[in-house]
Amino acid sequence: MTLTRLLVRRHRLTLTCWLLLLTGLSGGTVTAYQNTYATEQQREAAAALARDNAATTMMYGRLPVPGTPAQMYVWEIGAFTTVLAAVMAVLVAVSLTRAAEDDGTLELLRGCGIAPARPLRSALWVLAGCAVVLGAGCTVAAGVHTGSVDGVTGAGAAAYGTAVALTFLLFAALTVLLSQIAPAAGQARLLGFTVVGLSFAVRAFADTQQIGWLTWFSPLGLRATVEPFTSDRWTAALLPVAAAALTATAAVLLSQRREFGAGLLPRRDRRTARLRLGSTVALTARLNRASLLTWTVAVAAIGTVFAAMGSGAVDRERDGEVGGFLGAQLNGADPAAAFLSYCGTVVGIIVCVYAVLSVSQSRHAERRGLTDMVLATGVRRWVPLAAQSAVTAAGCAVVLLVTGVLSALVAPAVIAGDDVAVRAFGYIAGQWGAVVAMTGCTALIAGTAPRWTALAWLPLTAAAGLALLGDLLGVPQRVQDLGIFPHVPDLALADASPAGLLLLVGIGAALCLTGLWGMARRDLIIG
Amino acid sequence: MITSRGDTPVVDVDGLVKRFGTFTAVDGLDLRVQPGSVHGFLGPNGAGKSTTIRVLLGLYRATAGRVSVLGLDPARHADQVTRRLSYVPGEVTLWPNLTGQEVLDALAGLRGCRDEAAERELAGAFALDTRRKVRTYSKGNRQKVVLVAALAAPTELLVLDEPTSGLDPLMEELFQRCVRDAAAAGRTVLLSSHILAEVEDVCDTVTIIKDGRLVESGRLADMRHLAASTVTARPAGHQLAAVTDRLLRLGVAPERTDGLLRVSVPRTAVPAVLGALAEAGADDITCTPARLEDLFLRHYEVAAR
Repeated sequence: MTLTRLLVRRHRLTLTCWLLLLTGLSGGTVTAYQNTYATEQQREAAAALARDNAATTMMYGRLPVPGTPAQMYVWEIGAFTTVLAAVMAVLVAVSLTRAAEDDGTLELLRGCGIAPARPLRSALWVLAGCAVVLGAGCTVAAGVHTGSVDGVTGAGAAAYGTAVALTFLLFAALTVLLSQIAPAAGQARLLGFTVVGLSFAVRAFADTQQIGWLTWFSPLGLRATVEPFTSDRWTAALLPVAAAALTATAAVLLSQRREFGAGLLPRRDRRTARLRLGSTVALTARLNRASLLTWTVAVAAIGTVFAAMGSGAVDRERDGEVGGFLGAQLNGADPAAAFLSYCGTVVGIIVCVYAVLSVSQSRHAERRGLTDMVLATGVRRWVPLAAQSAVTAAGCAVVLLVTGVLSALVAPAVIAGDDVAVRAFGYIAGQWGAVVAMTGCTALIAGTAPRWTALAWLPLTAAAGLALLGDLLGVPQRVQDLGIFPHVPDLALADASPAGLLLLVGIGAALCLTGLWGMARRDLIIG
Repeated sequence: MITSRGDTPVVDVDGLVKRFGTFTAVDGLDLRVQPGSVHGFLGPNGAGKSTTIRVLLGLYRATAGRVSVLGLDPARHADQVTRRLSYVPGEVTLWPNLTGQEVLDALAGLRGCRDEAAERELAGAFALDTRRKVRTYSKGNRQKVVLVAALAAPTELLVLDEPTSGLDPLMEELFQRCVRDAAAAGRTVLLSSHILAEVEDVCDTVTIIKDGRLVESGRLADMRHLAASTVTARPAGHQLAAVTDRLLRLGVAPERTDGLLRVSVPRTAVPAVLGALAEAGADDITCTPARLEDLFLRHYEVAAR
């Protein structure tokens, strides 16, 4: 019991934040579904539209009949809460088990007369407790709206809370099992997220292809099997409980067959690879390879899904229905073009985040003394920062090109309009100018005032704010044009001018050169 | 300063001052390292050794003073200077996701010249498994990677900043052998340390600094000469007073504890003192030559005042 308490004490901040986020998301959004549609007819029309929409079916699953506000809530918000619960389960389960082994804290406890099996048992108790609290929280958060929102019942809320809790419990048990197998905490997390991704894919495939039985095999399909606010099928909850118990037992058994600090899979810390390189750019590219690959996959997936999700918004905009945040974004002549431009802006912002992080690596390397090692081999002073900037700009181009091509392939299938493929590609790839400008800005600070490198987030935040909220807040167009994101030429237009894009690239290059000049003239700052 | 061969010094520092804001890390330091010599650079923690070394590499710019390394000004020609020298930093950080071999490849690739056979031989001698990822290395193993890279690189000057802090005694011995070999091959070595014993066996000359200022510089042999030896003896009880008198006449002041005399003797007076004790038929005569450690510690204390 002491160990369980210690685990809760150590992770109380993370656990509280996650539980608050999930219950807050569950409780704060229920009434919105009652208020969005003024009449029954409007809601039924929207529900009918949603059922026929491949993109929303893929994202959220199948909307049950007749589509009461409670059902829409579980369909849409439930999709977010269950995915978030799965992510929480992976992160919390790994930090309670393998991470403590890798960082050496568990070693200390094991040296204090704690039985080998106890840490894992305590972690499982904490995870089970989390599931109970999460389920109760979501039940209460949704249940308090009984009577005020159509379709919300106490039993339905309990079924919803149970579905979220069981989703958490299943992924937690699976991750604990994977943690016994994975060679280290990082790989355990990666394996856990892969299982979350696979579960999502199986659920999306089952829903879009209407294969009902397949839904039962995805932990993320619990909303479809338990059916909160529709049939409240409690028997469907028995299977996941049994599965979680079995998985946890398997994890306990496996844990007895492995070494402390090592998984069943051997850790691959040994390899005979050689590095054949002769330049700082080559070394920088090699060091950034893994993170670039991860970002490319993630941004391409998010960007493409985002573009695919637009069909509903574009259709509704054509009917003049979309208001608020999204409406302000789509306020243009051609809704499809406006939406694709908006997608490009979002992707541009995300890739700029990568650019700032990547160029900041040069500052981290300087602080940790890695730049010393490179410079001591006869490399010129400004070369490491130049290499980092060049690799960043090139890497961002790769991310944008891959995302642009994927979007161009997917978007025409779901969005009706002129030149959708060309625009989907052009609006995303065209953000390279903004990315180069942001790269240059970060390089300028890292080169001339390294201690203030974090300030590079300021212009990015300001530009992102202008691009996303400028119209909604009524910011004058000439002020909005000062941002780095709205300068992408529309490739579908005959007179598309690349002047803005070229100007941004020029500004980025000039800022970067100034940064390199500053780098060559100052002391290296470590620590 | 000793100019053993009459060549121009490999490292030639004159009145180096390095300030960070209001803090003066190095204050008027002179440092001269002759070609082919092994030069110890000694001082307590925080004395300014690493700062000086970073100026020599061109990582820091001197606030004042003249700095020349391999005949060039590192502030203006850092790349040309560092291409011809090998550097082992005091705190070794490497890329955690590369293997030891990949780090060796990267450093040699950047330098543009390497001696792979020497690298393999040194890695074997230091018992370093270069196939392992850096993240699995202990501090000592990370240090070995950089030591192998530095010793194997075809360079003229080795700049080693407390290179053995993570090595076990066996490896430390091997390291000293490598330093001697490097000197024998005509390379120059600047070896910084805060532990005298590490430097004593391999260095011809040393420079001692404290609080950024030069305390003493010169040949180790000369410094030893200045220090005093310690002589102890147990004269017969009835002779004790006579012996003490005689020693006092020789200009040394013996201490007496339980019939045991202990006396600190300048090197030049050692024969006379030993002769006097032998004549008196004293037992258990010992003579311990000056330990550099004592001299060194004395400098630390003096400078600290």
